[in-house]
Amino acid sequence: MVFRSMQTATMALLGIVGFTAPPTVAQQPATGTKVVQFMGLEGVKAKSTGRLTLEGGNLQFTSSNAKANVPLHLIVDVVTGNDSQRVFRGTIGTLTMFAPYGGGRFLSLFRSKVDTLSIQYRDAEGGLHGAIFTMATGKADALKKEMVAQGAHTSIPIQDDAGSSDAKPAAAKEKKP
Amino acid sequence: MKRVLYTMAISFLLLGAQIKLAELRAQSAPTPAMKASAIQVLMIQSDEIKMPADFQISLYENLIQQLQKQGGFQHVYREGEHNAAGVTDLVVLHSTVRGFKKGSEMARNVTTVAGKTSIDVHCQFTDKDGKTVLERDLNGKVRFLGGNLRATLDFAKKAAKLSHDNFAARPVS
Repeated sequence: MVFRSMQTATMALLGIVGFTAPPTVAQQPATGTKVVQFMGLEGVKAKSTGRLTLEGGNLQFTSSNAKANVPLHLIVDVVTGNDSQRVFRGTIGTLTMFAPYGGGRFLSLFRSKVDTLSIQYRDAEGGLHGAIFTMATGKADALKKEMVAQGAHTSIPIQDDAGSSDAKPAAAKEKKP
Repeated sequence: MKRVLYTMAISFLLLGAQIKLAELRAQSAPTPAMKASAIQVLMIQSDEIKMPADFQISLYENLIQQLQKQGGFQHVYREGEHNAAGVTDLVVLHSTVRGFKKGSEMARNVTTVAGKTSIDVHCQFTDKDGKTVLERDLNGKVRFLGGNLRATLDFAKKAAKLSHDNFAARPVS
């Protein structure tokens, strides 16, 4: 009887371990940085989740139903920053506002930090566009460094921009035409 | 006799009130500065006030989106667009940030009364030659629901309405 219950428990444990096992070699890891395109990219819906990659001199945003390319040499400014956002947001976040006994207010105390990456770029007709991405904290500076190395322009040098860029320094602003 | 005087006094009072109302209405009604078939939006300047780059971009993009959404202009041009050079009745919108207070979404959610985000922007409309045709101070704020960047949408809606009331060739439906 004891043996049978132990056998069942072992089988169940193996099942759980097998189900939650890390991906094997056959499964390709997703490349790029996971971001939320907050606004601004042409042809991409606002607040859509996707991946940002640097390929062939282009900044490429790929989501499940949209794809956008921005040539890096057309990016006139890259600025990083940081912000925080509610853990419970969107429709669920709005519904929590109606929770009784101030439950919604309590839940709004739970916040997660995010990095922001703001770019300004020109299209083929010379029009100036802006786009804002949010991503996990610590990823924006590395991405900016790569973008600048591959030809993107920035008004704020990377060492000054690291950490926080809540406001553009006056010196950096003076360089702008 | 007394009744006649009484009626005349009331009539004079009513007439005076009506004239005053008409004057006030004439002052508050937007004076059509000029009609334009296209508008060009320049990047928001924040040289005096330090403002995060994402707010600056959000102001610019929301402004263009709201102008396109409302209709009334045949074209909404971005800064630097070559095609805008050929438009004769073009109006150019220059926006300069005059005040910025970054609030806190958490404070708004928890206290309801604190944590307001507000942006004050000076809007200057010029014609193609750079002559000012209209100047106005507008603000954008978020008091209760939404993130800090929602203040930029509030400003954009007001600026788009101002543009349409004064310059749109086709009236807003």
